[in-house]
Amino acid sequence: MNIIETSGLGKRYGGTWALRECSLAIPAGYVAALVGPNGAGKTTLLNLAVGLAAPSAGIVTVLGGHPAGSPAALDGIAYVAQDAPVYKNLSVADMLHLTRNLNRRFDQTYAETRLEELAIPLKRKAGRLSGGQQAQLALTLALARRPRLLVLDEPVAMLDPVARHDFMAIVLTAMADDGVSIVLSSHVLAELERVADYLILLSQGQVQVAGEVDDLLACHRVLTGPAAEADRYTERPVVHVRRAERPDAPPSRAGPDDPVPPGWEAHPVGLEELALAYLREPGAAALPGPARPAETSEPSGVRK
Amino acid sequence: MYSDQHLRVSDAEREAVSGRLAEHFAAGRLDQAEFDDRVRRAMSAKTRGDLRGLVADLSETGAPGGPELPRGSGGTPGDGPRGQSGAGSPIKFRLDAASGVPTYLQLVHQVEHALRLGYLTLGDQLPKVRDVVASLAINPNTVLKAYKELETKGLTAGRPGQGTFIQATLSQVALPELAGLRKALLGWLTAADGAGLDEDGIVALFTSALRDFHERRSGSRTRGGVASGETEGVA
Repeated sequence: MNIIETSGLGKRYGGTWALRECSLAIPAGYVAALVGPNGAGKTTLLNLAVGLAAPSAGIVTVLGGHPAGSPAALDGIAYVAQDAPVYKNLSVADMLHLTRNLNRRFDQTYAETRLEELAIPLKRKAGRLSGGQQAQLALTLALARRPRLLVLDEPVAMLDPVARHDFMAIVLTAMADDGVSIVLSSHVLAELERVADYLILLSQGQVQVAGEVDDLLACHRVLTGPAAEADRYTERPVVHVRRAERPDAPPSRAGPDDPVPPGWEAHPVGLEELALAYLREPGAAALPGPARPAETSEPSGVRK
Repeated sequence: MYSDQHLRVSDAEREAVSGRLAEHFAAGRLDQAEFDDRVRRAMSAKTRGDLRGLVADLSETGAPGGPELPRGSGGTPGDGPRGQSGAGSPIKFRLDAASGVPTYLQLVHQVEHALRLGYLTLGDQLPKVRDVVASLAINPNTVLKAYKELETKGLTAGRPGQGTFIQATLSQVALPELAGLRKALLGWLTAADGAGLDEDGIVALFTSALRDFHERRSGSRTRGGVASGETEGVA
């Protein structure tokens, strides 16, 4: 089952396309990370998936085929928007009351237990909680709806390292307990390594990379070799070539492992390094599996 | 030593000591004859010193059960994985984000390491997936992948509804021998330190000596690891 599936999806604001020709399929049961530079269309894509915005082109379905924004979709998805917004003038107890009454399903016991564990006082105004506590409150309200899909837009960008760890621990525990699928957008590439097992790289409103993290890491290598030969390496698509100051040892990134030219070294690549290489080279693409849109099926790697 | 050693005792104090002796007798620390003898002496005791002598060789609390000794006796290493997690498993995972080793492999290695050093033995439970996820904030699929890998290697087995348990052991040496070897190694380390080697120097020397050792005996026999392709664990 695909937790989010889009086909030719586009969103135009005025004359500008925020998202264009976006076709992807995110399977259920993963922590899928949506990565891309500012303005790549991450928030737009998430807004379309949760039904907060209507597409200008194409279609988007969630939870195995429900149109985004339909009642079935709304019941099964919880969304924590950027900066974890809460009503600053409402008390925590009122936030619970409000959320319970605005939703068909709300697990009051879960919410109260979680807030008690977090030592968040029910009488405190939400606006007077610390940033970490506000994020935890928003997350608690989202999870108390017992969603099948939890969508988080830049969930940890504003949090300090401890709050970030605690926040992600709750998210991932919900996944372990209830099998909630997670889709999150993030700038914090270093965090992805231990959290994400599905990666979607968005660039200029289009999907650049999509796939299971293990597969992506298995079919990429960092190649290091003499500078003079950097241009001659054409066996496999090269994602990004980086030249070192010293002319004799430039690291360069390349596609799948096997044939390593004589005199070159191949090293395994980390997720962060992989994402950075693609972000620096918007022309390159890696789109395995069902998410592959027809028009970009040929990897247009940099072949100098 | 005791300033009240020679103070006279009351009947209430004699009764209290008799009561404690009875507890120790019930716990099996005293046999019938010793118990009768000590109670008789308690009842005729004149000073606190006399009374103390009767319970001096018995533990303070009458509570049953000795102190819990951690496994891997003979001095546990400082970074021993016996952890705060409590709940069932003797080990607790930690992650090194800078190591470059995939997260699931770090978990696998830590279990193998604990098995080699005897911190984990047959029948021990691995931490529950949920607990690992909650304490490390990692993807549950990563933990499942690590546990699956351990199961594939034949080291663990999952019991439905209960958790994952150790099924095979990697330690090639019995615990008492391990303690002796550790002691000898500590002595060697002290000598190396005395000779002026720093930690890097010690590791380098040990690694090089280990390599020589392997080269010398290679050909005649191969390393005795359980899982094939196991080459880590040096230094």
